Amino acid sequence: MQSSASTADGTVAPVPRLAMHFASLEVQNHAARLGMWLFLATEILLFAGLFICYGCYRFLFPEAWAASSRSLDLTMGTVNTIVLITSSLTAALAVHYAKEGKNRMVAIQIFLTLLMAVGFLVIKYFEYSHKFHIGTLPGRYYFYEGIQLPGAPMYFTVYFCATALHGLHVIIGMVVLTFSMVRALRRADFGPNNYTMVELGSMYWHLVDLVWIFLFPMLYLV
Amino acid sequence: MAIANESRQEAHNMEEHHGAGRYWLIWGVLLVLTLVTVITGRMHLPSFGLVLALVIATVKGTLVTLYFMHLIDHRGANRLVFSVSILFVLLMLAVPLLDLGTRFRGSNPPGSQYSDLQPPDIGANVKEGRFGGGVRSHGSHEQSEGH
Amino acid sequence: MTPSSSIASPGAAPAHDEHHDHPNYLVDGTTIKSWLLTVDHKRIGLMFLFWVLLFFLVGGIFAMLIRLELLTPGPTIMDAMTYNRTFTLHGLVMIFLFMIPAIPAVFGNFMLPLMLGAKDVAFPRLNLLSLYIYLGGAMLALWGMLNGGLDTGWTFYAPYSTHTTTTVAPVLFGAFIIGFSSIVTGINFIVTVHTMRAPGITWFKMPLFVWAIYATSCIQVLATPVIGLLLVLVTVENLFGFGMFDPARGGDPVLFQHLFWFYSHPAVYIMVLPAFGVMSEIVASFSRKNIFGYRAVAYSSLGIAFVGFFAWGHHMFVSGQSTFVGGLFGVLTMLVGVFTAIKVFNWVGTVYKGAVDFKTPFAYFCGFLFFTVFGGMTGIALGTVSLDVPWHDTYFVVAHFHFIMVGATIMAFLAALHYWFPKMFGRTYHEGWGLVSAALIILGFNATFIPQFLLGNNGMPRRYYEYPERFQALNVASTAGASLLAFGFVIIACYLTYALFYGRAAGKNPWRSKGYEWLTESPPPTHNFVGPQPTYPEEPHFYVDPKKAEVPDAV
Repeated sequence: MQSSASTADGTVAPVPRLAMHFASLEVQNHAARLGMWLFLATEILLFAGLFICYGCYRFLFPEAWAASSRSLDLTMGTVNTIVLITSSLTAALAVHYAKEGKNRMVAIQIFLTLLMAVGFLVIKYFEYSHKFHIGTLPGRYYFYEGIQLPGAPMYFTVYFCATALHGLHVIIGMVVLTFSMVRALRRADFGPNNYTMVELGSMYWHLVDLVWIFLFPMLYLV
Repeated sequence: MAIANESRQEAHNMEEHHGAGRYWLIWGVLLVLTLVTVITGRMHLPSFGLVLALVIATVKGTLVTLYFMHLIDHRGANRLVFSVSILFVLLMLAVPLLDLGTRFRGSNPPGSQYSDLQPPDIGANVKEGRFGGGVRSHGSHEQSEGH
Repeated sequence: MTPSSSIASPGAAPAHDEHHDHPNYLVDGTTIKSWLLTVDHKRIGLMFLFWVLLFFLVGGIFAMLIRLELLTPGPTIMDAMTYNRTFTLHGLVMIFLFMIPAIPAVFGNFMLPLMLGAKDVAFPRLNLLSLYIYLGGAMLALWGMLNGGLDTGWTFYAPYSTHTTTTVAPVLFGAFIIGFSSIVTGINFIVTVHTMRAPGITWFKMPLFVWAIYATSCIQVLATPVIGLLLVLVTVENLFGFGMFDPARGGDPVLFQHLFWFYSHPAVYIMVLPAFGVMSEIVASFSRKNIFGYRAVAYSSLGIAFVGFFAWGHHMFVSGQSTFVGGLFGVLTMLVGVFTAIKVFNWVGTVYKGAVDFKTPFAYFCGFLFFTVFGGMTGIALGTVSLDVPWHDTYFVVAHFHFIMVGATIMAFLAALHYWFPKMFGRTYHEGWGLVSAALIILGFNATFIPQFLLGNNGMPRRYYEYPERFQALNVASTAGASLLAFGFVIIACYLTYALFYGRAAGKNPWRSKGYEWLTESPPPTHNFVGPQPTYPEEPHFYVDPKKAEVPDAV
């Protein structure tokens, strides 16, 4: 464990604070990662509930599912997927630069991530407003004449619940990443043995990406 | 002290410098796979379309977890946590599906492919359901009575 | 920090005179702020204890109201709607606000780091956060209860819960928030067990209470998110009517039940596994014997946690679930019985030929053993599909889950409270009163719920505020038993409060227990240990050298 590794900028990376109850810094980081993985496991199971609703209702209403899925805008969905995957890349790069101690690059990468997150939400907003316009809405709000199959409103119930929950996670992820960005700019103290904050934020962001990787084919490509 | 060894191993793996190239490579693969899944998805393959899409999604998800989330550098507990959560997702998915598939037809939701009952109101400009639906929407006087 | 060179052998106190410089956690900081903003796991545990007991009182009052209403066949003190609200609130408060946090958040918080030789849990600030999330959720739920309450039963089955006009949304959202508290506690404990074990404490030298809490935490982490999602879905349904579980819109209410019981069945083990852990500690301590079959008890905790996830469908035998899945769940349910039986046999094996010290915690152990075995056996009966069909939703089910879930948990909670009272407060309670109240509570509990078994078997359904004349005698007996139970609790409250202020000083280890938590001072200093970190060469629950115990008459 190098406590004063010099960074690429030539400054000395500050020693991160070791909480008094941990045996060593390595164990502390290990604990932080394990805690994050456990938290991500809870997130996976949270989304799993909706995936199960999706699976069951698709099983019951395959035709309505296919028809409703084709009423979505595949182009927008694909663009959103690419945007989110790319934002995941920049989030991973942020961790990479944080390990090297290049705090400016960390901030830039996180900024790019946030930019793409906003882009994702804007595209999602256009998709939503289109649906509000033509009436492919959940449950009793459904008034779309194009698809008259039993189960079509249920598809949009699942669609809106899943994408809204995912969108909420995008926003939470943005808040988390913003904290890291501000710290990279203000305190600029990320370095080889002090990058847990960026790493955990980035892990959260990858989870948001991971969920979307599954939501995209499920919703758009039935 | 197993934990110290495990932590040191993990710290060592995380410190090992890979260069940013690895991330760019993964990103490229993910984009290609996205393209593949969109193309095969648009073909509307008859029966295995969803399976194929889910397989591709699983591959993509695995790449993200292993490389972006560094699960490949982690040992023991972290992997266990992740795999157990996936196992329980599958369990939770399998049982309700098994239930729906083997259920007495009469207790499946009406209108579904496993039910002989009339399809219910699907919502298009119809406010009333056949099976007691829309209690809240058109039952405003009932609600006021409740208070 | 390196492993300490001064090896403190368990039982023998490392001699220091400097503990005057290290005040115990109770007096280290006496301002209100030093309590409210503490990150000390012991203080957080105590604050949880306060709130959990308060909510136990609230839930208990609801219980007494239910029993009073059922005293006579007709309406006694309330109308049907009030009754529906009362039993719903009784269930919600007791389950979400009392039983789920009762042992993990109070005794788990307090004892886990002490038992692992750690100075604190892995994430102390998250630990404090979990307390405030719990309080926030509780306040929201209570606000909803005061503003109308809900009449869905604690199971809030859709589609009724999505259509009822009572205040479902705030209460369910409060429960959702409390779920976060449960998750945070679970994550914290798992990470603590993985990373904070002191030198010498390997996985199979962890005290059995730690194993139980670890298994519980795994369930909390894996199951709670599902109910969280479901609570939000039902809240949204109730407010906006998206039709996710509405049969009129193609929804499947049975799917709701699947998701609900995916959490709520393992939640039973969230409540009862910590109780098993407490009892494993107590039985070894008061039998003056090593725990019989340490590994079997440890593994069976994990086993119960695991197979607990494969049994949820036994709540849905009459719901319209397929008979095939019903049968499958019926068979899988029996597995839980196997693992529980392993534990029971090991406890009995521990007591066998032990030098039993019949103190209050051991009295509760006896009650616990009875409730677990009797409640568990009725559970096996209920898990049989053909038997469950007539018993479903009768008082037989009510009595069954009160025996296994509430009986076992309450026994363990009280046993833990008495066993660790000297550890937590450094004072002892009056042993005679302890035994008297234990007898009252065990008797009262039996008198309350054995008549309910009979009522259920005679066909009295649950959740009705009226019943035919012929059920009155047994209902009166049940209410009388409940009064006895309440009286027992009042006695406990009195003598423990007295002991808190005027009790005799307990000394470091009044039970001469070999548990790791007794190696420090009682009450422990702020960072749990004075001087260098102790190491733990001996196993926990080590009372007799097994080789010597082989020799006849050596014990």
